[in-house]
Amino acid sequence: MNLKTGILLVLILSLGFKVQAQDCNLSIRGKIIHLENNEPIEAAYIWVIEAEEGAVSDQNGNFTVRNLCKGTYTVTIQYLGHKGIKDTILLESGTFTKTYRLEEEALGLQSVEVHGHRDAVTTTTAVSALYGEALLESRGENLGESLRRISGVSTFSTGNSISKPVIHGMHSNRIMIMNNGIRLEGQQWGAEHAPEIDPFLADEITVVKGAETVRYGPEAMGGVILVNPAPLPTKKTSKTSLNLIAGSNGRMGNINLVHVGGSDKIKGLGYRVQGSAKRSGNVKSPGYFQRNTGVSELNLSSSVGYSAKKIGIEAYYSLFQSELGILTDAHTGNLSDLEAIIENGRPFTDGEFDYAIINPKQRVTHHLAKLKSHYHISESWKLNFQYGFQLNHRQEFDKRRGDLNENASLDLELFTNTIDLYVNHTHENEFSGTWGINFIQQANTNIPGTGVTPLIPNYDMANVGFYAMEKYSKGPLEVEAGLRYDFRNVSTARYIGQELRTAKLDYQNLSAFIGGLYHISPDLTFNSNLGSAWRPPNVNELFSEGLHHGAAAVEIGNSDLESEKSLKWINELQYDGKRTHLEFTAYLNPISDYIYLNPTGEVFVSLRGTFNIYEYLQANALFYGFDFAGSYEFTDRISGYLKGSIVQAKNTDNDSYFPFIPSNRMDWGISYDFAKDAGSPTNKITVSNVLVAKQNREPAFDIAPPPPAYALFNLSYQKQFNLADDKLNLGLQVQNLFNTSYKDYMNRFRYFTYDMGTNILLKINYEF
Amino acid sequence: MKTSNKLYLIALALVSFTFTSCESEDPVIENDGELITDVTLTFHELDASGNLVGDSFDFTASDAEGIEIGTTPNIETVMLEKGKTYQMTIDVFNSVANEDITEEIKAEGEAHQFYFLGSAFNSSPFLSYQYNDGGSELIGLKGKLTVQQSPGFNNANMQIILRHDLDKSFPGASNPNFEEYVKAGGESDLDITFPVVLK
Repeated sequence: MNLKTGILLVLILSLGFKVQAQDCNLSIRGKIIHLENNEPIEAAYIWVIEAEEGAVSDQNGNFTVRNLCKGTYTVTIQYLGHKGIKDTILLESGTFTKTYRLEEEALGLQSVEVHGHRDAVTTTTAVSALYGEALLESRGENLGESLRRISGVSTFSTGNSISKPVIHGMHSNRIMIMNNGIRLEGQQWGAEHAPEIDPFLADEITVVKGAETVRYGPEAMGGVILVNPAPLPTKKTSKTSLNLIAGSNGRMGNINLVHVGGSDKIKGLGYRVQGSAKRSGNVKSPGYFQRNTGVSELNLSSSVGYSAKKIGIEAYYSLFQSELGILTDAHTGNLSDLEAIIENGRPFTDGEFDYAIINPKQRVTHHLAKLKSHYHISESWKLNFQYGFQLNHRQEFDKRRGDLNENASLDLELFTNTIDLYVNHTHENEFSGTWGINFIQQANTNIPGTGVTPLIPNYDMANVGFYAMEKYSKGPLEVEAGLRYDFRNVSTARYIGQELRTAKLDYQNLSAFIGGLYHISPDLTFNSNLGSAWRPPNVNELFSEGLHHGAAAVEIGNSDLESEKSLKWINELQYDGKRTHLEFTAYLNPISDYIYLNPTGEVFVSLRGTFNIYEYLQANALFYGFDFAGSYEFTDRISGYLKGSIVQAKNTDNDSYFPFIPSNRMDWGISYDFAKDAGSPTNKITVSNVLVAKQNREPAFDIAPPPPAYALFNLSYQKQFNLADDKLNLGLQVQNLFNTSYKDYMNRFRYFTYDMGTNILLKINYEF
Repeated sequence: MKTSNKLYLIALALVSFTFTSCESEDPVIENDGELITDVTLTFHELDASGNLVGDSFDFTASDAEGIEIGTTPNIETVMLEKGKTYQMTIDVFNSVANEDITEEIKAEGEAHQFYFLGSAFNSSPFLSYQYNDGGSELIGLKGKLTVQQSPGFNNANMQIILRHDLDKSFPGASNPNFEEYVKAGGESDLDITFPVVLK
């Protein structure tokens, strides 16, 4: 053999090796989801028979089998309680991708676990959720406070007892809250009207940060909050969970009891009952008590459900009852009163502790009942029906003279009926979707006898919406688009003095969205969503006319207001590594005809004194910002997290800023884990620090300048005990560790008082 | 499937029932009960021994519309004579609900108090006021108003403020000319400035 042939042989060999190496660099990627609801399946087993290679799907249902050569392969997919899939694949080049939908095995096999029909959020928009340990730590807080744990969500509050969630600078009627699938319809227009929902009824609270008008109906502009209980059991079980919480500030006591059971006799029948009660008294700010800031709450919820192979039905009822005091010193008589207390910066009196709730106060009762059922027409088509009934009764009491003090000065009863009828289709091929019709009917009545001209008129509203959404999934890629048309009719009537004023208004809108999600690698996901949304003007924006006590303001509505129209583009990059978790969200949200309350600069003079006059105006707005959340495990024991958000809201018509938009904020903390290894029960201490900047993007007019920046330190200790079959969680938290005096720009009572001082909380959770 | 069929029927019945019962009520006329539309100051001269002399006369501040934008209250000028002492009574009325609020203030005397401010009492004082409601409560519905014999000015302003739900034991709160009345807490139910001219 000469040199030449030798070289040639080496060349051929290496070439051959190279070719072979290239060919064996192929991979199969896929995603495994439930056929029924598109929810990802974790821990499904994938086996490529010819290659003798396997994989297990991750929490997003994704899997990858690498280093495969060119050829034909047989892939088998198996998951407990589901029909297996055998698929033949011709792998030619690069990466083969496919989405597999697993169908549940027929009921009847004793060993098979039928899981409840919980519909996942299948959106391609940015979604963050509060569950597990984080939710456990938030227990005892109201919905707004709990959700502050999610980056990009803050609160718009009135004192320490009323807080409304704010998503990317939007709150009240610009976001939507879903109570177990029903859009919560209360008097959400008011800044001092807290959401009528008990966070204890949820085992998971999800925040959808994109525009979701198509899926959820008008007003879901800024985002949607889903408050969802756990799915009902479908087999014999009995579980009870008890929460006991005590707080030093306000001497708060809170109890919650949940019992979940499944029937032994009737397969697929399950139920849940839950009740919670809360009582607290006057809150203490550093150096003084805030008078009349007690809260009394009593909430109930219950549901019963039956699921079989083809049919599922669930009945649900929830009751929210709350009575809360409004800080005595916030009830000012006129503008000079208001200016005097703003100048003083805090109440003139020190107050003392008291549980009593006196006028001014609010009393709210909210009933919600729903009936939901689905029917599997065929393997891939499902028909759904959902009916919701809500009755909201809101009473607001002012400090008044004589017998009137016993009468509410605002007494509203709001009935809402919602009907959803939709079909889902999921196929083993790439398409899935939902088509439906949604009907909302509402009636609002001022209960006579208040002795006050009603702030908003009596009204009847009807809204019909038709929508369709389709999703295309192929392995790591999901693309989704949807379209919706809504028509709304509102008719109002009210007496102003002796004069009857009525109005009939029609609104209609077409909204659409397109979004996509791509799993760049099993650890890294990118999603982008562009959605249009709309919100018809609210009744208060159209017809308000009267005095707003705490604000020493006269607010005047404008019945010529048009619907707000918005476009929200949101992008999210998510990384789930072994030690690192990162979430980065950026959004751009232009809104035309954004409705806002503008000071006219004029004053109204009466025998009672002087008041500022505000009117509702419309302008073009641009909201944009970023959220960031990340955590990192330095060692097995030490980990840290960092969260932050920035939101900008500009009035692009006159280049000014809107009021009550959250300032830049950041939250970071370090945890030390005493637990021996990852599997052992929680035993963790966390020190965290909240940093809130001064709102430098000031609106042109405010009755007081934005408060300075502040920093708060919090301490939390969480320990879990496993007692045979039972579980005990103990939590000790110290909020505002150094009793710092501070005011938050997003708290309307910053005009009157400093925020709450140190609060020590003991939280016990026992599951048995 | 039998049970579920029944459930569907119940659901349908529930839906139809709630739909028919769900319409807003017709609105009714609400007379604003808290409103103060007329405040009348009645003056009756007192002699040296405190007896009423001659006829009484009055001045009114009124705002018939209540809370209505664009209208301003109509306030009369108070005309008094130098060197005289008057019994001043205040009447508060709601013409919308046709209700005498004076009685309510009297009944809740412990939660109400009038303050008398403005240049007539403070910066160029020619008036002095003493509560004289009878009983232990200082309210200001009835009081003694003395005009100086030879003041340096003959016109000024008299600001009448009615505080509701104040802390009457707050230091200084018993002074009818207490400028820092806000510190005693509560809120203003009335804040009217009458021009005063001396004859």
